[in-house]
Amino acid sequence: MRLLFLLTLLMIAGCSVKTPEPEAIEEIVLAGGKASKWPEKLSSFGFFQKPLQALRPEKGVVAYQINAPLFSDYAFKKRFVKVPTNEPATFNERETMDFKEGTILIKNFYYPADFRKPEGKRRIIETRLLVREASQWEALTYLWTEDQEEAYFTSSGATVKATWIDDSGLKQSVDYLVPNQNQCKSCHQQKGKLVPIGPTARQLNMTEEGGQQLLRLVNQGVLDSVPNPETIPALANYHNLTESTERRARAWLEGNCAHCHRPEGPGKTSGLHLMAEVHKPLALGIGKAPVAAGKGSGGLQYDVLPGRPESSILLYRILSTDPGVMMPELGRTIVDREGAALIEQWIREMR
Amino acid sequence: MLPIQNLHRNKTMAIFNLAMRLLLGFSVVSILWSCQPEREAQPVWKSIESSLQERFIQASDGDTILIPAGHFLFTRGLSIDGKNNLVLIGAGEDSTFLSFKNQKEGAQGLLITNGKNIIVSGFTIEDAKGDNLKVSDVDGLTLRNIRSRWTAEVPSAANGAYALYPVLCKRVLIEYCEAIGSSDAGIYVGQSDSVIIRNNKAWNNVAGIESENSKWVEIYGNEAWMNSGGLLVFDLPGLTQYGHHTKIFKNIIRDNNHENFAMPGNVVASIPPGTGVMILATHDLEMFDNDLINNRTVGTGIISYELVAALNETEEVQSDAEGGIRTVENNYKLDSLYNPYPYRIALRNNRYSNEFWFPSLSNDIGFLFLLKSFLSPPDIAYDGIKPPDRNPEICLSNNQGAENFLLLDAAHDFEGFAKNPTGFDCSVVSSLKP
Repeated sequence: MRLLFLLTLLMIAGCSVKTPEPEAIEEIVLAGGKASKWPEKLSSFGFFQKPLQALRPEKGVVAYQINAPLFSDYAFKKRFVKVPTNEPATFNERETMDFKEGTILIKNFYYPADFRKPEGKRRIIETRLLVREASQWEALTYLWTEDQEEAYFTSSGATVKATWIDDSGLKQSVDYLVPNQNQCKSCHQQKGKLVPIGPTARQLNMTEEGGQQLLRLVNQGVLDSVPNPETIPALANYHNLTESTERRARAWLEGNCAHCHRPEGPGKTSGLHLMAEVHKPLALGIGKAPVAAGKGSGGLQYDVLPGRPESSILLYRILSTDPGVMMPELGRTIVDREGAALIEQWIREMR
Repeated sequence: MLPIQNLHRNKTMAIFNLAMRLLLGFSVVSILWSCQPEREAQPVWKSIESSLQERFIQASDGDTILIPAGHFLFTRGLSIDGKNNLVLIGAGEDSTFLSFKNQKEGAQGLLITNGKNIIVSGFTIEDAKGDNLKVSDVDGLTLRNIRSRWTAEVPSAANGAYALYPVLCKRVLIEYCEAIGSSDAGIYVGQSDSVIIRNNKAWNNVAGIESENSKWVEIYGNEAWMNSGGLLVFDLPGLTQYGHHTKIFKNIIRDNNHENFAMPGNVVASIPPGTGVMILATHDLEMFDNDLINNRTVGTGIISYELVAALNETEEVQSDAEGGIRTVENNYKLDSLYNPYPYRIALRNNRYSNEFWFPSLSNDIGFLFLLKSFLSPPDIAYDGIKPPDRNPEICLSNNQGAENFLLLDAAHDFEGFAKNPTGFDCSVVSSLKP
């Protein structure tokens, strides 16, 4: 019997399939690719003055910011919008603004060489566009060259090494993942259709230098009109420590989770709904058993266990970098330490 | 009466015997065939990652995409979105291999979303970090001749959750597929509508085949073995829809005695090893003409979500006692649309046999069966937690070899526990008459 056992072990060892490291693999190109209908170069759109990498907008290209952005491996983002002449978006209090055909939303992802000098030298990684066509939105990605002279269309994404000095003076680096065209939609999706996420009233409603952002966007022809900003909801800036933990955490959750975890999003399968307006405990994961989490449960019983962040699946998945566990599923390879600390505090203070 | 040591010895002997028999069988097979097929023994891994993903993105409605024969490694999850009438076809499950062993990004191997009439067939997909093949929001889906597996020699919670995972789909056909090594369910259909799961094989998963919150489901001609639970039909709270109308027939559900390696917290983690079929909180289910063989803990269990919540709650209370923090109740009762009780369940003309004398003891439910039904694990067990507002209409008829039917009466501390109670005859109670 023992001999047989040993024999079997030997057989198994002899037959086991060794998986090589990815570097060693030959890349095969399948025949039959199709050409893209989109411009090859970002500069062809004429959004920015020369030199391109300064990201100085041409006339009609308008900068904006949002209150609670998605964490993207600490990348900085510069957002612009270009609407067709004399066709401003119609204001929408709940969802994203109703942009007209021909509108383009422009988002540049970059790393300042030194985060303590955010306006200093930087490396732009990618520029993502959302283009409003007649009946749908299209998502495009342009990948910047190492020399920062130009960005080129990619549909299949890329991995780019990014390095920076962080706020405490430490050197950091990350293998930044530029998404492929489908991956854009895995976040930018409602009821199966590709949609913008950021430009909602709650996200845009903020005070900026010289006044209210929403009023400026009306003045610059991006929006048709807005109610008095003080009468409409606004998400907190989750970095703003003068706001309550509750408001900061709910803003962070809306910005980082609710694009999927809402009734219209792909995360609806889980029953977890994290829009800032939701107050039902079960929808927020409080005392809710996981549904199809697999190893994502981390051996824990509930999504959120009030007072017990260490026993809450929500925090466990925010703290993970395992692709099979972490949340969000895409768009990061490292942990948002500050965001995780905020959610930890939110659950700990919850009664 | 029997000392507990004997109990363990007997249990150990049974496992040992089984293991030895398997080992012997495997050794003979190994010697006969050695390392064949050669191709699988020494594959040359290549990458088609960029161009395959590009092809998926650029595909027009009506396209057929061929994946050539070969062993292909991926570092990122693949995705297909918003396509109609698309056919994705490999050179066969013994020729085309898609491995996600080196996956750095994406929770799924292949993710298909928001489409209509999609056919996927003819390849092996393996070792994704999360689910191997997930399909969401597709109307008209066929999965055929797909082998989906985790290749680790000892399955563990490190394996992904689902091998084949359609969710929120309509008109689903899964046939001639194999699912191996999933840490949750091998073939898992969730929150879907009009589903056929037939002629598939599932082994070494926690759950072989699972239908969850799905309606109008037929599961037939499948074989599930060496899972912790062979076949599960579950209804869970708080989701987009609830399940009903399931037919389970002509399946072979045998030897589902694998250790449960699910990550705790997931509902399948509470399934005792040795479960043939588990029916949880669903209604209008018929199960007939199946073979349930050597599932050591229970052939067919019929339970309410109350029992599952109570068992999990106990663990929570225990861990809370250490932390000194108040108990939190499972919030499923907040879902007013959810019915946690099984009703209108008919088990007819199935064949039961079990050579084991003891249920699995590594789990609360198994232990309960041991206490209540010493030396003869139940063929059929019902927790007896009834809906407050209706007759549960649980019925049994002509189930060959089903000598032990246990009514647990779990809601009343098992006071009404009974073996082979009357009042469960299909001709009397069920509105699901043949």
